[in-house]
Amino acid sequence: MSTNQIHIDPYERNWMIISAILLVLFATAVSVAAFGMGIQVPAPEQRVDPRTVATDPNSPWSNPGLREIEPGKYDAYVLARAIPSWEYLPKEMTIPAGSSVSFYVTSSDVQHGFKIQDTNANFQVVPGQVSKLTIKFDKPGTYNFICTEYCGSGHGVMYGAIIVTP
Amino acid sequence: MAKKDKEDDEFRPTGTIAVLAIFVVTLIAIWATIYMILVGRGGTL
Amino acid sequence: MKQYQLSTGEKKFIGSHLLVAILALAVGSLFGPLQAFEHAGWDIYPYIKPLIKSYYQGLTVHGVLNALVWTTFFIMGFLTFNVTFGLKRALRNPTLNKVGFWVMVVGVVTAAIPILANQATVLFTFYPPLKANWAFYLGLTLVVVGSWVEGWGLFATYLGWRKENPNERTPFIAFASILTALLWQICTLGVATEILTMLLPWSLGLIENVDPQLARTYFWFTGHPLVYFWLLPAYISWYAMLPKQAGNGKMFSDSLARLSFWIFLVLSTPLGFHHQYVDPGVPPVWKFIHSMLTFGVFFPSMMTAFTVVASLEHAGRKQGGKGALAWIGKLNWSDPSVAAQLLAGILFFFGGIGGLANASYNVNLVLHNTAFIPGHFHLTVATGVTLSFMGISYWLLPYLTGRKLWNPKWAVAQAWTWFVGMIIFSNSMHVLGLLGAPRRVPLGLAPYVPAEWNSRLLQVGVGGAILFVSGALYLTVMLMTALNKEKVAEEVQVPIAESMQDPALTPVWLDRWAPWIYGTLALVVIVYGPQLVDMISNIALTSPGFRVW
Ligand code: HEM
Ligand SMILES: [Cu+2]
Ligand SMILES: [Cu+2]
Repeated sequence: MSTNQIHIDPYERNWMIISAILLVLFATAVSVAAFGMGIQVPAPEQRVDPRTVATDPNSPWSNPGLREIEPGKYDAYVLARAIPSWEYLPKEMTIPAGSSVSFYVTSSDVQHGFKIQDTNANFQVVPGQVSKLTIKFDKPGTYNFICTEYCGSGHGVMYGAIIVTP
Repeated sequence: MAKKDKEDDEFRPTGTIAVLAIFVVTLIAIWATIYMILVGRGGTL
Repeated sequence: MKQYQLSTGEKKFIGSHLLVAILALAVGSLFGPLQAFEHAGWDIYPYIKPLIKSYYQGLTVHGVLNALVWTTFFIMGFLTFNVTFGLKRALRNPTLNKVGFWVMVVGVVTAAIPILANQATVLFTFYPPLKANWAFYLGLTLVVVGSWVEGWGLFATYLGWRKENPNERTPFIAFASILTALLWQICTLGVATEILTMLLPWSLGLIENVDPQLARTYFWFTGHPLVYFWLLPAYISWYAMLPKQAGNGKMFSDSLARLSFWIFLVLSTPLGFHHQYVDPGVPPVWKFIHSMLTFGVFFPSMMTAFTVVASLEHAGRKQGGKGALAWIGKLNWSDPSVAAQLLAGILFFFGGIGGLANASYNVNLVLHNTAFIPGHFHLTVATGVTLSFMGISYWLLPYLTGRKLWNPKWAVAQAWTWFVGMIIFSNSMHVLGLLGAPRRVPLGLAPYVPAEWNSRLLQVGVGGAILFVSGALYLTVMLMTALNKEKVAEEVQVPIAESMQDPALTPVWLDRWAPWIYGTLALVVIVYGPQLVDMISNIALTSPGFRVW
């Protein structure tokens, strides 16, 4: 027997083929979701200086909140902060059902998370960076957004809400 | 070194196929469930 | 045939690793049930306030001691055993190994002081700009450096053996252990860079600000391969020891076992962005490339599943096992080492499924930093790895000390309680995560918990209680074994499963190091290089430190 050839049992060979097919299927499914259905992960958006982002009058996060860009389309500038007390600014946002909101979230101190329940908005908030995803809210109701990254002792109470009115 | 037993040559891992078949079915079921949650929660662009 | 003898000194040295590891597990695991109880609404933290100030200080202890100290010490000890026993050769330069070990010990103590003083409540991921006391970062650095030095001691031993045996195939357990130590040296460059260029000088006041996004990238360069550093030693035991213990089975395929270890080496570092899918500062194209490579590294785990199950089936058939599945019952379940590792392997299947879901690019939006994640890794590192290591210790401790395993029935019960407790615990954590519950939150107190989570939170507590019993059983068995007056009659036989096929027939290219190492480094440069260069050249040192705990 040549010592360069690897001996593979036929059962195991079939198993390797099945594994490969399975992984190709999964890769295809995530690609369809990403590139076909617009379920994407965040992309680099903008860099900011966390030391001034909340105070610089030119920074949208010095006046966080909703801006209506056109009917039914909003930009939401959200500031996550641990100091002075773990919270999001604004804590609450109200929009009519059917609205599409682009969230621009950054932090003025440590890392935080931002996860809107029952949607695919779920990302890391890193000081110096702006995290952005866009969500369309069709069903009326209250959607909590919660902090998903440890940010100090108040991490577990850090949340806010989006109220979608009919 | 390792002596070759005759029964080793005849050993066919049929039980392994059974175990792994169960595994693959479970894998697909769980993965697909989470994938459907993803799809159900909608787009992000 | 008499087996190769380790010297008393070598046995003591390996035993010291076990001692530190088990002490770490004893303290670290204590907090696991406390966290689980908190989730269920049974909050014990107010009563331990004089010692541990908060849930998060406890969680830092839990993560650091379990995930970093218990694993690293057990692994370095086990690898040392595998290299000397596998090569049938004494350590070439035992002083080097000893220096490494003591540097690690000093590192643990150095890091423990600020953690216990509540000066480093930054969790085991220590993401800046949370800023711990400098001793924490210094201690972690020493642990890593010490493990490098121990690794060099193993490499030196291997090279010595190679010179004496130029034409022999490296015995499997030694080969796989050297490879694991090598993987560790390559992947820890990330966290070493993070600490030495940013966190340590920053905590010492030498620099004022850091770049948190770059720090995360360095961290996860190490963070993913870290899981393979944990896992591969368990795989070594499953491949090459467990089949023997389970019923005198043989390793089904020596060459495929080696091939999968090589793929682990090549692929486990260049995919760290799969922990940063939802980071703002990494372009999606790199995230996507890393996700595809992550699918790639799942492949050798699938091969491992086949080879290990087939080797176990071989054992089961030898014991007269019949049928498609009934052979499983013929395995040597009454041996605690076997029971622990089989049960660990079963839960690891499910851990693998969850891991694949996490790794699936945008699917991570559903799971990122939810309770699903601790649900997942308590099946992998806290069961697949930890319960296997416990199983290994059931023969390794008697082997090293010459003392009989105390009360093997208790040890079997320990394995089963861990299995059952973990099923309850981790199943409910997975479901909670899918419902949207975050991780790293004392959920018993969180203001936004909807009623539908409550029954699951209760189950987390129940699982935690069973796990507490199991952990206590393990420590009792270990302690009583170490003190056991009853000696083993002759040295414990090290379980080594021969390969079905003569290892001499394993292709030579599976026993050559250089091409694989070059390949690994090249792939790292290709898939990390461009993004790292971009992040470093645009570095934004704008984050001062915070102590908000
Ligand atoms: C005694 C059984 C154990 C129980 C009941 C338990 C319970 C828990 C719980 C409830 C959490 C989640 C805390 C949170 O997200 O807020 C957690 C976190 C964690 N556990 Fe365990 N655990 C146990 C054993 C282990 C073992 C043996 C390991 C590792 C070898 C381990 C590693 C971890 C790690 C790394 C974390 C994450 C810490 C962090 O988020 O910073 N656990 N554990
Ligand atoms: Cu937080
Ligand atoms: Cu990973």
